[in-house]
Amino acid sequence: MTSTAQDLHPAPVLEPGRTILELRGLEKKYPGTHALKPVTLAFKSGEIHAIVGENGAGKSTLIKLLTGVMPRTSGDVIWEGNPAALATPHEAMALGINAVHQEVVLCRHLTVAANMFLGEENSRFGILQQRAMVKEAQKIIDDLGFDLPAHVMLGDLTIGQQQLIAAARATVRGTKFLIFDEPTAYLTRKEADQLFTLIRRLKSEGVTIIYISHRMEEVFELADRVSVLRDGTLVGTRNIAETNDAELVKLMINRSIEQVYHKEHFTPGAAIVETRNLSGKGFENVSMTVRAGEIVGLYGLIGAGRSEFVTTLYGRHRKSAGQILWEGKPVQVNSEHDAIKLGMALAPESRRDQGLCLNLPVGLNLNLPIYKRISKNLLISGAQEKTQADRQIADLRIKTPTRNALASSLSGGNQQKIVIGKWLAHGAKLFIFDEPTVGVDVGTKAEIYRLFGALLSKGAGIILISSYLPEVYELADTLHVFRRGKLVATHGFRTADHEEILTQALAEKQEKLGGTI
Amino acid sequence: MSTEAIPAEKPKRNYNALFGLTLLALLVLLWVILSLSTSSFASANNISNLLRQGSMIAILAVGQTFVIITGGIDLSVGAVVGFATVIAAMLINAGIPVFLAILITLAVGVAIGLFHGFGIVKMGLPPFIITLATLTSLRGIGLLMTNGNSISINNDAFQEFSRNSFLGVPNLFWMVILVGIPAYIFLHHSRWGRYLFSVGSNAEASRLSGVNVQRTIYMAYTLSGLCAAFVGVLLASRIGIGNPTQAEGWELQAIASSVIGGTSLFGAVGSVHGPLLGAFILATINNGANLLNVNAFWQRIITGVLIIVIVYFDGLRRRGGK
Repeated sequence: MTSTAQDLHPAPVLEPGRTILELRGLEKKYPGTHALKPVTLAFKSGEIHAIVGENGAGKSTLIKLLTGVMPRTSGDVIWEGNPAALATPHEAMALGINAVHQEVVLCRHLTVAANMFLGEENSRFGILQQRAMVKEAQKIIDDLGFDLPAHVMLGDLTIGQQQLIAAARATVRGTKFLIFDEPTAYLTRKEADQLFTLIRRLKSEGVTIIYISHRMEEVFELADRVSVLRDGTLVGTRNIAETNDAELVKLMINRSIEQVYHKEHFTPGAAIVETRNLSGKGFENVSMTVRAGEIVGLYGLIGAGRSEFVTTLYGRHRKSAGQILWEGKPVQVNSEHDAIKLGMALAPESRRDQGLCLNLPVGLNLNLPIYKRISKNLLISGAQEKTQADRQIADLRIKTPTRNALASSLSGGNQQKIVIGKWLAHGAKLFIFDEPTVGVDVGTKAEIYRLFGALLSKGAGIILISSYLPEVYELADTLHVFRRGKLVATHGFRTADHEEILTQALAEKQEKLGGTI
Repeated sequence: MSTEAIPAEKPKRNYNALFGLTLLALLVLLWVILSLSTSSFASANNISNLLRQGSMIAILAVGQTFVIITGGIDLSVGAVVGFATVIAAMLINAGIPVFLAILITLAVGVAIGLFHGFGIVKMGLPPFIITLATLTSLRGIGLLMTNGNSISINNDAFQEFSRNSFLGVPNLFWMVILVGIPAYIFLHHSRWGRYLFSVGSNAEASRLSGVNVQRTIYMAYTLSGLCAAFVGVLLASRIGIGNPTQAEGWELQAIASSVIGGTSLFGAVGSVHGPLLGAFILATINNGANLLNVNAFWQRIITGVLIIVIVYFDGLRRRGGK
């Protein structure tokens, strides 16, 4: 890079290799889940430290603790030799800890320059020095080698370009410790290269980089050290030169599979639903069949197109091509209403956004799909409304004081039971469960899996989406692997091993190496 | 770990009823204070007057509440009332039977509500914007139709209706009951009522559960338009003229009544009895202030302070109860 870079960012006077941040027994418990078991780890200044692990392994919890978004349950954080509370995001930022998130959290309606100086505007006598800021921002951007204009609206840039701006922004605020959370998820290769250049430069200036990624090749390209999280436990830290991706993958998934995966096998019956070359927003050319009595698992990373596929099947989004056959006959599913009428039920991915009316009672949530059935001429039968809700609460052992308690007052696992319970009362031939056990404790997980068995025994078919490999691996009769909107591989029950499936979902590296890790 | 502790939670089943009782207590308290401090408040004449004053806002507030429960707002109701007085006056003066004139006026209200639904659902406009646009345009259309003049209604029977009483209770108050009971059954005992709440709480979750969200929104605004047109008919009967500039600012009084009655502007929280009580609390304050010779300007300030205080305490209790 050019010498002006040094003028703009005087390198922090940090001796490389000195410990900048130390975690001592850092721990986080949520009600019902132990998200992060005591982690002890020291980060050195000027190192790129990768953190890998499956979804739900505790990576995002760790970031939230380090950036002050959430308070820790116990443990100490030592910042440059002094204990740090990290109680608020502000405190973390004041210390020099910043994060660049996978989703850009900037103001799309402000200019690139305004975003870069957001909160630290350059003003003289209270008047914003807009032109000076644009000039300065442009200088920083040019200097970083990003070919982007500073005066345009951030929203006019691609997501990848916005990500670069978010990264550039983090560099102008005296950052000493910068966390990247899957920064390349939306980037093209060229943009990713630009980002790597930036990261290497920050490193040379003594900034500590935490790099979280699913992509092994990036970890090996960038990192000095790598730590592996599994089920909330730090299972190991390796120097990058002394490890390989086979070892890392093994560390990531080699868990003791608890006896929670209750699996019942049935002889598959007739096909309930079949898709032929179905395409839509976020996925293309997906063909699969779900038969009565079987669980079809969809595995892949978040954003691989699995949820988009099922919501399109469910009529929430329009398909762009392909065909849906229901019990052998071609059907048009133009709305959720059509889907429900055919006999589909969807327990969606996000309880908060799609699954529940949180500020309404448990009973109303449970009865929502069946109000038509329990009313006569528009008027609801109060007795039926009561018994239906109470029956689901009892059957599913939903822990709630009464059916009139608000859904928001329940724990994650019990909320998930409501999402599932409302479709049990309604009944369906095809149940679609999208990440049914996220944020759910082990006990409830086991109950949910038992429920799957009960549904199958009644002749229903199930589509199970999970980013948690052991779950789909142990439960699915047919396991489809999704990657970047495509169905890339199909396996029978336990016919492939974890490594093979994980690499199929993870991608590119696999293709380059021709099938071996 | 699998044994998760559920925080002990008090059942909230009676929350709505409790809040309603508190409001009722407030209303009664106001009445007792005013009866003791003025000689004229407790007179039959004044009570009738008070009931008449509160009735129209009360009916508007019920329609408004349906909309607010879905997470929307209807700013047009005052303008719809004014416009409806014009329609009713013109139809009656043209010799159309009163009964038919009323039905047509109500149909106009329904049409306006459907238009709001169309703007929100099909054009994607925010409720605030589409109803604000109707507010100003309807006044304009009314002024064009009347050339800016008031239309006197030449029908004594029509006008007598609002002055008369039945069983000692003013007819206008009977109209509140006529609207209130079906509205109560609709909101609390029909599935459409449940859908209003669920859409206001989480439209996406409702949709994925098979609720027709678009139809629910159409319905809320249509009912609000219908209530407003009905109030227009009552107002035309009461003042005997059609004038599009009538009922200026009534939309704000309706919203205030609804909010005082415990409706949450974030949606999914509300009742029918709450806004009714809210409307009569506001009417009592205005009436009492007149009797106590409080400057009319002060009445507006008192109303504003009351809204802040009641909603603040309601919010405190909701949060505290969580």
